[in-house]
Amino acid sequence: MAATPATNPSQLLPLELVDKCIGSRIHIVMKNDKEIVGTLLGFDDFVSILRNLLLSVSLFPQGRRITKLDQILLNGNNITMLIPGGEGPEV
Amino acid sequence: MAQDRNKDGEKKKKESIFDLSKYIDKQIRVKFQGGREASGVLKGFDPLLNLVLDSTIEYLRDPDDQFKLTEDTRQLGLVVCRGTSVVLICPQDGMEAIPNPFIQQQDG
Repeated sequence: MAATPATNPSQLLPLELVDKCIGSRIHIVMKNDKEIVGTLLGFDDFVSILRNLLLSVSLFPQGRRITKLDQILLNGNNITMLIPGGEGPEV
Repeated sequence: MAQDRNKDGEKKKKESIFDLSKYIDKQIRVKFQGGREASGVLKGFDPLLNLVLDSTIEYLRDPDDQFKLTEDTRQLGLVVCRGTSVVLICPQDGMEAIPNPFIQQQDG
């Protein structure tokens, strides 16, 4: 099948890695200076993310603001990076 | 549109215009919307340009000048990068910083 993109089967698919992370801690970096740490409950095709028990860390030049949140649905539009098992920015 | 369909009337398969498989296991530099930059070893990707990078280093911007990179970096490890936010991918040793070529020289 020459039309399909020939991806090497032994490589790691990004959404597989996120899928493995369900139920464990994840650290999400947004496009702006915000980061979120918590337990991943699930995600959808657009990588909108359902999170639990988390801290939202807003990084400002003069310091940071840490907000504790409960369960949230995070819109995938602004997500830049997902780090499984992340500790967050030096808490 | 007529050209979106093959002769059999099936939808045209989404083909990548760029083959990332030649960058697998190589160190690459990625720039994101919003000004973030990161560099790591490409471990995987998909047609939507989501990436898996290993041993990722994020380059931090100078807080005073959003466009100037500092020497500060932070280690992130194994990271998934969202394809919707990626604007540029290049090999790590494929670029270097040069002095600003657009500054007009003042004649004394």
